Amino acid sequence: MISDKIEARQLITLGADGVLVRGTYHEVPGKTQDGSNAQGKNIGVVFLNPLSTPRTLIGDSAVFWASSFAAHGYPSLRIDLPGLGDSYGEAAKDLVTFINEAGFAAIAASKIREFTKTFGLSGVVIYGHCAGGVTAVYAASECRECKGLIITDPYFNAANMLTPKLSPGMVDWARRSRVGEVIRAIYGRIREARKKQDNGALPGNANVRVVTHWKKIASSGLPILVFKSGEPRALGSAKLRAGSFDYLEHITSFAGPRSRLSITMIEGASHSFADRVGRAAIREQAQAWLNENFPRPTAQTPVLTNLEFSKPVTDADIATMSPAQVPPGPVAHKTYGGNDTAAARGLH
Amino acid sequence: MVQFAQVQHYPPSVLAERAQYFPVPGAHLYTVLHEVEVPVARVLLIGSFASERHTSYRPWLQWARYLAARRIEVLRFDYRGVGESTGVFMEMTFDCWVDDVERLSAWLRKREGEAPLLVHGLEMGGLLAAKAFHNGEADALLLWSAPVNANKVLRSTLQRWMAPQQLRKREEDRRPPSHYFRLLDAGRSVEVDGYEWSAELWRQSLSFELPATMIPPNDPADAYRRPVRIVQLGKSAAPLVLGGLLQGFEEGKDFSWLFAPNYEWITSRLGIRLETV
Repeated sequence: MISDKIEARQLITLGADGVLVRGTYHEVPGKTQDGSNAQGKNIGVVFLNPLSTPRTLIGDSAVFWASSFAAHGYPSLRIDLPGLGDSYGEAAKDLVTFINEAGFAAIAASKIREFTKTFGLSGVVIYGHCAGGVTAVYAASECRECKGLIITDPYFNAANMLTPKLSPGMVDWARRSRVGEVIRAIYGRIREARKKQDNGALPGNANVRVVTHWKKIASSGLPILVFKSGEPRALGSAKLRAGSFDYLEHITSFAGPRSRLSITMIEGASHSFADRVGRAAIREQAQAWLNENFPRPTAQTPVLTNLEFSKPVTDADIATMSPAQVPPGPVAHKTYGGNDTAAARGLH
Repeated sequence: MVQFAQVQHYPPSVLAERAQYFPVPGAHLYTVLHEVEVPVARVLLIGSFASERHTSYRPWLQWARYLAARRIEVLRFDYRGVGESTGVFMEMTFDCWVDDVERLSAWLRKREGEAPLLVHGLEMGGLLAAKAFHNGEADALLLWSAPVNANKVLRSTLQRWMAPQQLRKREEDRRPPSHYFRLLDAGRSVEVDGYEWSAELWRQSLSFELPATMIPPNDPADAYRRPVRIVQLGKSAAPLVLGGLLQGFEEGKDFSWLFAPNYEWITSRLGIRLETV
């Protein structure tokens, strides 16, 4: 039978404010219709689009994570913001600048409120990848329903400030080609390093508005989990990291002792985190973080179980595993905030 | 700046879009029906391969809306095991996806109100559309950038995926594309762009081809005596087809230069009088 609902998934449209937004809801097995149970309400997870990528995200990784979170007691919603994916509307001509200037913040906040109310949740954690993380940070500032953030590979720069100085053909080549990608990465780091000043001022190409919002939410004590993918080895990551401005450290230094910012580096994961290493690591780490910060109101039996590996996993092992079987890649944690803020500031 | 937080006025064709799950053996297909009252024709859209889905998604949807606004009912869907559809990608083969197309075209044909059915395939979807048309499941065929065979798509997808991956690996861990081709030839699976390609998928791709009657110098319209249009799209059609995507800068691209002539071809070849549209 054709239906908008199967197993633990439902296709939904949020439109209470007059703006139709399409999405896929992953419900917690065994929950009542309004999302609550005798012991209390759940925290949900909302996934936002990174740039124009539809709500499945690259490699359908968001479907994997949303299903997993829901199976562990965190109902999840993946939405297409207006002009993206299945939702109606025209995408902005310069989508990057639109997002950087908080173009999606109000509608994202409105939809989070609607989702929370419709499904009887106590609040949500917003999941934003790359540009989706920018929208997530702005939206978090605008809605009380946001109780936490999971941000993957955040960026803090404004739109490329070099662009107006180059010919369109050169810009096109630099954006499309692999060599251009490498050159852009190196140029960006050199530029940041040159702009960095002893007094801790932001680099010249910083998106001051988004950094300010980061500081605001970090200082409010909102739990924030950041995942970073490994730097390209071909670029000499150690040297590049040393020369780059550490925005997260900068934000934490302003945030004070209430800050609850955790950062996890996943070596071997690609920028999309859609690969085996990235998707498994995010599932495991985010799940643990959700459990720690937002304990479920009742003991719900997870449908998916985490695998434990008693011996080091080799590339050969990984080649034969399905994504669900792959353990997280090498991770490095640093946690800012709580009683350990001062010590954490010294970490790099 | 665009303000979304206000009441929008949506075209009736947008309000008539119905996203639903369509049951197939072992899975559910994500489908979106752009429903039309008294349609003059129906179109089954068969999109590009998994890795290209996210870049081509929006212009593909815009094409569906373009047609629906002109009284052509459209059904688009995600392949089994891909996108919003359920199923495990690693277990998928071309047989599964051919089956998807057969079931959906049969469903469209049974809908109330008789109207000619056109199957339209983009890139890898072109092979699936061609197969369905070849088997007599549609009245007309439209192909955009269909490859000669599926293996060509898989090879180029893997090569494109590899380049940025190499940057992240230690020099001693880097392998040329031929290494992965050999693994697949040897019966191993390989993960590309988050999708686990099985050896069976790879094996089938070698013989999953465009029917010979559709390859020049043959004239498919003559061979089938039904309308066929085969278009190779250039880089100007990116991100609908490969050719580089300036993500964040090309989302608002206007495709009317592509949509208008193809729509005119559909109406003329299916005998639709424009005054009825």
